[in-house]
Amino acid sequence: MPTESRLGPRAEVVRGTLEMLALKLLGEEPMHGWGLSLRLREISRDVFDVNQGSLYPALQAMLRRGWIRAEWRMSENNRKARYYRITTEGRKQLDAEIEEWNRTSAAVNRVLRYAFSGA
Amino acid sequence: MAWYHEIASGLAALVGRRRQDAEMDEEMRFHLDMEARRHMNEGMSEREARRAARREFGGVERHKDDTRDERGASTFFDALGDVRFALRSLRHRPGLTAAATITLAIGIGATSTVFGVVKHALLTPLPYSQPGQLVGVWSAWKGFERTWLSYDEWEGWKARVHAFADIGLYTDASATIDGATPERVRSGLVQANVFPILGVRLDRGRTFTAEEDRPNGPRVTVLSYELWQRRFNGDPSIVGKRIQVSGADMSVVGVTPAGFQMPLDYTAGEHTDIYFPLATDAANEGALPGPEFPKGGSNHGYYGIARLAPGSTAAAANRQLHDIVAELEKFGYMANVGFHAYVIPMDEQVMGRVRPVLLVVFGAVVLVLLISCANVAGLLLVRGEARRRELAVRVALGAGTKRLARLLVTESALLAVFGGAMGLGLASITVRLLRSNAPAGLPRLTETSIDWVVLLFALVVSIVTALLTGILPLANATQLALSGELREGGRGSTAGRARLRWRQALVAIEVALAVVLVAGAGLMIRTVRNLLNVDPGFRSEGVLTMRISTPSVFYPDSVRVAAFWDDLQRRVAALPGVKHVGGVRLLPLASEMGDWGLRVEGYTPPPNQGTPGDWQVVTPGYFETLGLTLRQGRTFTTSDDMRAPLAMIVNRTFEQQYFAGRRALGGRVRIGGSDSTKWYTIVGVVDDVRHNALIGTVKPQFYATLAQFAVAPGNTRRTMSLVVKTDGGGDPKKLISSVRAQVRAIDPRLPVSEVRTMRDIVDAAIGGQRFAAETLGVFGFVALLLSAIGIFGIVSQVVASRLHELGIRAALGATPMDLMTMALGSGLRQAMIGLAIGVVAALMLTRVLHSLLHGVTPTDPLTFIAVVVVTGLVAVVASVAPAGRAARVDPNAVLRVE
Repeated sequence: MPTESRLGPRAEVVRGTLEMLALKLLGEEPMHGWGLSLRLREISRDVFDVNQGSLYPALQAMLRRGWIRAEWRMSENNRKARYYRITTEGRKQLDAEIEEWNRTSAAVNRVLRYAFSGA
Repeated sequence: MAWYHEIASGLAALVGRRRQDAEMDEEMRFHLDMEARRHMNEGMSEREARRAARREFGGVERHKDDTRDERGASTFFDALGDVRFALRSLRHRPGLTAAATITLAIGIGATSTVFGVVKHALLTPLPYSQPGQLVGVWSAWKGFERTWLSYDEWEGWKARVHAFADIGLYTDASATIDGATPERVRSGLVQANVFPILGVRLDRGRTFTAEEDRPNGPRVTVLSYELWQRRFNGDPSIVGKRIQVSGADMSVVGVTPAGFQMPLDYTAGEHTDIYFPLATDAANEGALPGPEFPKGGSNHGYYGIARLAPGSTAAAANRQLHDIVAELEKFGYMANVGFHAYVIPMDEQVMGRVRPVLLVVFGAVVLVLLISCANVAGLLLVRGEARRRELAVRVALGAGTKRLARLLVTESALLAVFGGAMGLGLASITVRLLRSNAPAGLPRLTETSIDWVVLLFALVVSIVTALLTGILPLANATQLALSGELREGGRGSTAGRARLRWRQALVAIEVALAVVLVAGAGLMIRTVRNLLNVDPGFRSEGVLTMRISTPSVFYPDSVRVAAFWDDLQRRVAALPGVKHVGGVRLLPLASEMGDWGLRVEGYTPPPNQGTPGDWQVVTPGYFETLGLTLRQGRTFTTSDDMRAPLAMIVNRTFEQQYFAGRRALGGRVRIGGSDSTKWYTIVGVVDDVRHNALIGTVKPQFYATLAQFAVAPGNTRRTMSLVVKTDGGGDPKKLISSVRAQVRAIDPRLPVSEVRTMRDIVDAAIGGQRFAAETLGVFGFVALLLSAIGIFGIVSQVVASRLHELGIRAALGATPMDLMTMALGSGLRQAMIGLAIGVVAALMLTRVLHSLLHGVTPTDPLTFIAVVVVTGLVAVVASVAPAGRAARVDPNAVLRVE
């Protein structure tokens, strides 16, 4: 079973989001780790720029759960790279997470709206 | 399914660890290279770009570790790491590791062996169908606590005891399987319902029918599986064939399953090889037909076995028997002798005598195991001392108490695993030894084997051992982690003192446990000596015995039987190395002897009591060969033959009971109650022979010669034991082949069986006590040895830890004697405390030996004094060597180390 993460609770939240975003991006096309990291930075406007290396344990965890699959392929500059591709299970997981995210953020938005209107 | 991926990933991690690492390295290198190239494209120098890429990536090794953790199975790798580390640290101290492993191996090995024995003897039910419902049925009266049933009683109980589903009679005998090499085998005579009562399913054929089980019925037999294989090569069409047994034509109707034994076989230590119908009835037995009881009772000669009715219990059967007997008593059946009848569970009948022995031995072995655990815990504590700094550094470097605990527990677990494996090896050897040297008289010991239950037991014991041995060092280490050892100067600290106290406590416990064992051993050894000192009434030294039968087909009358024995004895007496030779119906201590109703002239028994006499048939040489003591008159001579006046020799008990205040010599006795038999005249009185057991009451016994017993009561003894006394204390076993050759020379058709020395027979009679004494002796010795090691260790440690202080004392003028006394005191104090606790514990615990002891009380002062002296001496001896080091302390050397 997975061991206790050294990242701490706040990092866990980040990691959860990281996983969701990674799944979303991999759902569009298979990518290698660096490419994924680059896209994440572009899209998130460098929120995930803090520590590029933490992407790899997250990818490994998703591999373990069967959400993504990995294969070695030639990259655009003729070097072998490890490409990740989303699986059917990964898509299901992504859908579930997006739904969960929407629910949570809607709830948070409602709370915030109420808090400000009630003030 | 998620779990499927988890497991696959875990397995992949286990199998392809190296490849996955390589891939991960390559992947991260690719990332760094690409990132650096991106920076270069933005205008950075190559060095600058690489540095930036690394910075943004974060700690590569940390990310690798985290990624590895995400593969799954990391707990396994952690444990593997622990094991690797523990192995390394154990290898680092080979002496200590070996000592601990061997100690544990002894403890676990001994415990597993004894458990194997106990399991087979006590926990495995007898191999009959629903053995819990089987009971042995017995009669008893004054002086006869357990005696056989009479035919009348069988009829009575069968009709009236409703707690019985069925009750049957059986007995054991022997028979000759005729052929080119005749073989004497143990036979069973069983009523037709005995096999069904036991619930045995024959390997082939059928059991006896009621029609076959009657006097002069058809000659049928059931063979044992082993006999069928051995004598008839497993002939598949054996059922229905005719075979020759004891000169008669018998047709085989069935074969028992392999390994089947009759209840009596377990105590006899031999398998029954052939079965016949008991084939008797009331008329044949001189009994009253139907459930009627003759007032005086009749011949009590059969073993009873019953299967309890469904839902009934042995207690219920006993209540019913008790009520019926009370009724019979009013009617006058066997009045004034205190007749009663009872059942005992078959399991207890077979194993009852052995159970206390085995339980005691098992208790003893558990003590040995505890001692070895204490010893190993002590050893690990010492090592903990030596590793204080190492552990302290680990704590300082951030190893938590949890991590430390895991390391230490892994170590003791490894020790337990090694010890357990070695112990099992040891157990398989001891079990083999046990099987080949199983003490006679201990049923089912030879069945002992190391099976999976024993393996499981050894595993559990090993785990418990690991916990027991690991817990103290662990407590110490935790304390260490908290106290921050690095700050401690490293010597003579208070924490060190606390650890020393733990070790001292362990040593005291070891000594206490050892005292209990040694006390038990001492009591058992004294018991065996007392039993050996019981005068059995005969001399067993240098006597060879063997059983020889003269079947009626070859020896149709008593004249020929007597002639054979005369010839045989003459030939054997002429052999070199032979001093005396004789023949006897039943060897003392080898089997129980029944009695014969007598009429003694001038003696009137109390109303409703008979005049029983245990009957022994001998040849004249018997008295000298077994060294019986003649008190009055003479022994038999060769002239006491068929034509001579009938001569009888009686034992002292016979004389005292039937000739109280009268002269026995010249007295006349009739064997059998009727007037038709002839009068014997008493010609001699011999000292009592303890025939049935070494302890217990002796019954009146009489001796008649083989030749004259055939005249009156007219009974030809067809099976006798030859007894041969060696000349000048030679080994009787050396005579076996020459004596056998003489039997063959006279008649090659005669089977010889049960070749034993008288010594073997006596040993078997005290087998249980001897077994307990020997095992307790060995365990006691091991316990003392382990305690000695413990004391040695503690004194060494005290000396080592106080070397500095001792050096100062020496510099200040303490003499070597002073120093030695100081060091000695540290070990001996623990030993004395242990001794005191042990003596108190032993005084309470030796009570469990009560049923096994003879001639010594469980709190025998002499034994306890001896135990105290022995244990004290061991403690002193173990302390002297390390204490000597204290005496030789060189103050210069010690003080210069600072």
